[in-house]
Amino acid sequence: MPKLTRFKVTIDTGDVGTDEPVCFNINSHKVPFEDLKGSAQAGQTFEGGFEVNSFAHSLTLVGPETGQWNIKKLKVDLDLEGVEPYSVTFGEVTLDETNEVNIWRDPPVPTFDV
Amino acid sequence: MASILDKLKNMFGPGGETDPSAQTVADKPVVADSRQEIAPTFESNPEPTPAPVSPPPMEELAPTPMMRTVIQAPLVSDAAELPESDEILIRAQPSPTGDQCVFRINRPLFPGHSWFFKDFESAEGSPLAEVIFTHDEVETLLVHEQSFTITRYDKNNFEWEKFAKEIGITVRETLQEGGPALKESIIRDMPGEEQIRTDIQKVIDLEVNPGVAGHGGQITLTGIQGNTVNIQMGGGCQGCSSADLTLKIGIHNAFRKAVPFVGAIYDETDHASGLNPYFS
Repeated sequence: MPKLTRFKVTIDTGDVGTDEPVCFNINSHKVPFEDLKGSAQAGQTFEGGFEVNSFAHSLTLVGPETGQWNIKKLKVDLDLEGVEPYSVTFGEVTLDETNEVNIWRDPPVPTFDV
Repeated sequence: MASILDKLKNMFGPGGETDPSAQTVADKPVVADSRQEIAPTFESNPEPTPAPVSPPPMEELAPTPMMRTVIQAPLVSDAAELPESDEILIRAQPSPTGDQCVFRINRPLFPGHSWFFKDFESAEGSPLAEVIFTHDEVETLLVHEQSFTITRYDKNNFEWEKFAKEIGITVRETLQEGGPALKESIIRDMPGEEQIRTDIQKVIDLEVNPGVAGHGGQITLTGIQGNTVNIQMGGGCQGCSSADLTLKIGIHNAFRKAVPFVGAIYDETDHASGLNPYFS
């Protein structure tokens, strides 16, 4: 797994939002996002990122400690060392105090038209 | 000015200088008083009977952190997706290990089903398969909905671009001629989903699971779509470095031998997550 330089999430919240700080979990360490924009309340868009500069063995978005958080769309921009920056977009998912959603995807396998 | 100096001298007494820390403590009468109250107690009773220690009330205890489950959200974007077009577009995507290459086409090849061609002879009567097997390097062919996957005899050749372009040219010519890509008798003779499900479950129960149980593994049938089989590898198989080998050598062969109408076989296991993957 290449070294993760930085990443950024853009989260469109659906019907149920959260007031809690939005955190991610990297290698089992829960960390709040930085460079925040917007909010995670219902119908709003949240943006946050983090300069990691380390190897990510697992990367998840953590659910709120209380209540639910309905995510309509989740875009992750990943910047890895030695790899072209790439984006991954996930569909609807609902988080709560029992779960966290995987936001890591390996760099895309190259394709070519034939 | 002189009167102020006199007042200050009087305040600090004849010594003139006062320990500022003492002043600070005096400014906190509650703390100073409590210390004074405690000290005489110990002096009068040098060996006090220790008071029984009662556990803090439950609500004061820090809650035990809950182990969260890692879930997967559906992937929306895919770099391999083809745009809509009147032209026949073919996009090749070699696997990271280089052992196979997936070709996606913006045309249906075998809607709702999949089919595995194990060799040149099995391609007879299916125009798409026949033209692909004219390339001597092709070992096997798997057709599924709008894509097909090729493996080659030479497992050490990881360069796909030149060969994939040759495949693309012949496949495009065949599709431009029109007509079905695969022979129609495949669909006509195919048993129903329930029959395939029953037969596959039987192979899992009687052959596959007893085999992987020695390694603490377990295979679960998660779904059948048409003749496409989805499985999950659990227990010791999840995250195991040999899971891919077990799937391609053991499970594929067992399924295809017992249920010849099985098409694609997909492993839905997330080998990197869970509480105790073998390698994560």
